[in-house]
Amino acid sequence: MVGSVRVAEPGSVAQAMLALARDVGGNHELAEQICRVCVLGLDVDGAAISLLTASASRETLWASDATAELLEDLQFSLGEGACIEAALTGRPVLVPDLQLSTQTIRWPIFAAAVMEQSDVGALFALPLQWGTINLGVLDMYRTAPGSLNGAQLRDAISAANMAALMFLGVRTDPGDGQWLDHSLHGRAEVHQATGMVLVQLGVSATDALARMRAYAFVEQRLLSDVAHDVVSRRLCFTQDMV
Amino acid sequence: MSQVGSGREQLLSRAFVGLADTLVDDYDIIDLLDRLVGYSVELLAADAAGIMLVDSRRSLQVVASSHEDADVMELMQLEADQGPCVECFRTQAPVSVPDLIDAAGRWPVFVAAVESRGAYRSVHALPLRLRGEAIGAMNLFHRQPGTLPEADLALGQALADVATIGILSERAVRRGEVVTEQLQTALNNRVIIEQAKGVLAHRGNLSMNAAFDRLRRYARSRNALLSEVARQVVETDLATDVLATRVAPSKAVDQR
Repeated sequence: MVGSVRVAEPGSVAQAMLALARDVGGNHELAEQICRVCVLGLDVDGAAISLLTASASRETLWASDATAELLEDLQFSLGEGACIEAALTGRPVLVPDLQLSTQTIRWPIFAAAVMEQSDVGALFALPLQWGTINLGVLDMYRTAPGSLNGAQLRDAISAANMAALMFLGVRTDPGDGQWLDHSLHGRAEVHQATGMVLVQLGVSATDALARMRAYAFVEQRLLSDVAHDVVSRRLCFTQDMV
Repeated sequence: MSQVGSGREQLLSRAFVGLADTLVDDYDIIDLLDRLVGYSVELLAADAAGIMLVDSRRSLQVVASSHEDADVMELMQLEADQGPCVECFRTQAPVSVPDLIDAAGRWPVFVAAVESRGAYRSVHALPLRLRGEAIGAMNLFHRQPGTLPEADLALGQALADVATIGILSERAVRRGEVVTEQLQTALNNRVIIEQAKGVLAHRGNLSMNAAFDRLRRYARSRNALLSEVARQVVETDLATDVLATRVAPSKAVDQR
């Protein structure tokens, strides 16, 4: 038998993110630490994280340098770009070579502006999402063109997944200061319960998750156990709970 | 355990026509994999089937299953970090277990879990392989112990290979993206579908299996992407429409 299913040491970036202090202040501080870890561990020169909401508003939480900030500003003022595409489609947008028009055909004005105003050669935009919840985008750039290799891409995507759980953790924090566990992704019952609770309370998926976390915190139970009770209909959330 | 003769040939041609149809249009991977597990259940007389894919951390994740009980079987293996599906993925070779009770020595933690809350006695796991790399496994579950004939295993592997082809040819690959991102999108879509099942289950007082069946039939009757319908169920009032739409139940799903 070769290796293990979890062989897979998460890559160095994901490891470094796991090591981030749980008491990282708010969104800005968290974004700063995540960007630093990505720039250190991945083959990129800069990184930025922007939050995007359904109301089309956006906020760049942190950019590692002036170029990373320029990329965010450009696409939000032009209304197009890799990051916006990643946010809208929920898919990673990888542009190993900005000079190749086939890769930038979906946002030509942004691509031309980037080439004119910066020395960026490659762009990688990864959506931060959890089901229907779009939290924002992790944007990275490199001056030298070229793809991320398989391991780097996996590491980058793991990092984005973890970042999404961290931001969602901050947003739904019941006061325990804990991140959401990465393994939650694979727990169908947590997602099913989120769907049930959002109907029970008439709230968004994010708020449904927050209410379940708050309940688990108060009752000193695991989120997955609370979710199991919801799905088995032993627990129904009402407005006056918690 | 297998069906023979023209009944199966008819099913088989219907399955391939259905799959070819799917592959031509815009489709999402979860939808394709969901159809595949459905066909596997019919063609191989299995009681349930499931597909697991590897994520960016090289961990397996359940992405499609014909029944919630199949999910449970796969999750128990992931928790125990052992079992036929896990071994199939690691070795990239089929793993057949005619009776799980006999496999207690091989996977003690998993078999103990099966004895307390598993619904199936036999498992046949087939690898999803892509250019020499394992990207997941397709698992066939039977309630009664027994061995699948060679011909059935070969057909099962062909269906698993269709899954791989489907993952490769999905639109994102045509845009020059790679499989890691594909799988990422598929896994996120799975989260959306599970949330939508929860919405429908609560609003329609349905089991998760029945909720998924409603979602699936609604999407198919409108030629819509499963993940897109699921997203609208979560974010808009589409659930009302889905629950009001009466379509003949598909026979692969029980209506508990």
